[in-house]
Amino acid sequence: MGRLILAPFVLFACGVLASCKDKTQSSEPPATPAPSAPAQAQTAAPAAVTSPGQPTSANTEPAASSKPAAKSNASAPPVAPVAPPASQSVAGLPDVDPHKTRGSKSAPIVMEVFSDFQCPACKQLYLGTTHQLTDNYISTGKVFAIHRDFPLPGHAYSRIAARYGRAAAQLGKLEQVEQVLFQNQEKWEQTGDVDGTVASAFAPAEMNKIRALANSPAIDAAIEKDIALGKNYGVNQTPTTVIHYKGQTYPVAGVVSYDVLRSFVDQLLSSK
Amino acid sequence: MMQSSPFTLSRLIIWAGRLVLAGIFIYAGYAKLFLPNMASHPPVGVALSLFALQVDSYQILPPWGVYWVAHTLPFVEIGLGLLLLIGWQLRVWATLVSLVITGFFVAVVRSYAMGLQINCGCFANPEPLTIATVIRDGLLAALAITMTVLAFREARQPHPWATAQ
Repeated sequence: MGRLILAPFVLFACGVLASCKDKTQSSEPPATPAPSAPAQAQTAAPAAVTSPGQPTSANTEPAASSKPAAKSNASAPPVAPVAPPASQSVAGLPDVDPHKTRGSKSAPIVMEVFSDFQCPACKQLYLGTTHQLTDNYISTGKVFAIHRDFPLPGHAYSRIAARYGRAAAQLGKLEQVEQVLFQNQEKWEQTGDVDGTVASAFAPAEMNKIRALANSPAIDAAIEKDIALGKNYGVNQTPTTVIHYKGQTYPVAGVVSYDVLRSFVDQLLSSK
Repeated sequence: MMQSSPFTLSRLIIWAGRLVLAGIFIYAGYAKLFLPNMASHPPVGVALSLFALQVDSYQILPPWGVYWVAHTLPFVEIGLGLLLLIGWQLRVWATLVSLVITGFFVAVVRSYAMGLQINCGCFANPEPLTIATVIRDGLLAALAITMTVLAFREARQPHPWATAQ
């Protein structure tokens, strides 16, 4: 009888041992990954993601018009037509806009981050986790990151922000536009002044190009492609990170801390 | 010939609770370890690290707590499920199951109330945390607590074979 009472503690101990083993593995430098490109995603399981009653759910009705803020655009001088965003298939994934990626295309792990500039959790993920991930895994060629636009209809200005974000990315300014939009999220979501927020980070000439691009139907079409892809994965909440490794797909919804994400990435890289 | 014990409502609930909760616990632990919903099954270490990401998304525990829970919970679930099925020392295991499942319920209610857009992580699949998850966990917690209370009450009564004489 006494031995039976000890059983759960033995089970806990087994778990702790397994935990220690995994931590040891993750603390070791990962083996140099083979430059194998992940195959087309095999979605693990359809994620019929719905969160009733939540304003950030993709199923919620639009809260406001998603047309671009016309106030500043109207005063913008005419700019020469700009080429629509080119998308291509990278690492077996469709519709990858090279301007919205970070890292090496031959990295063993591909992360698609479905994000909404007006979503507070996306800001938290970007400011807390993405920066460290960029420094330690993306710039070292272990992770290839793709930013996917997933503006939720319940957010009044997220579509406009996505347009500006995508437009700035076409000029190679993805990092700057993400910084300015996320860091000033509380301000522009109150006023709706996405244009002014983005303008504060760019020179006037550059801003005019961004404005012209943001109004281009091609930008809208590219955003729609990202949304369609996300829905294909079962995404309808943000942020959702879809991690691809060796043909397997691991969707992770919500904010995750860098330490825990690092452990997962190390596990993937050290797995056979 | 030995008489079977009388099958009262209380015993029916205990049996149902044992079978339902044992099945759920064993499957939940197995799913977290082996990811049966995936096309190809990754190593257990990867599965546990993936589960750690889901635990982390609840934003309740610090990273060390997340690792600890993620790497022990699946084993505990399987162990408790098997012990519930066996039925020996039922009151002890039923109490533990009630505590664990009440913990799940509290975590789910908190996350839902905070509006966190996360997956439940209950069965290691991308199941969103919705009001349906809250209700399901609440019902399971109620079943576990009822089963535990009834198991304690039954233990206080004389053995059914003794009273049936």
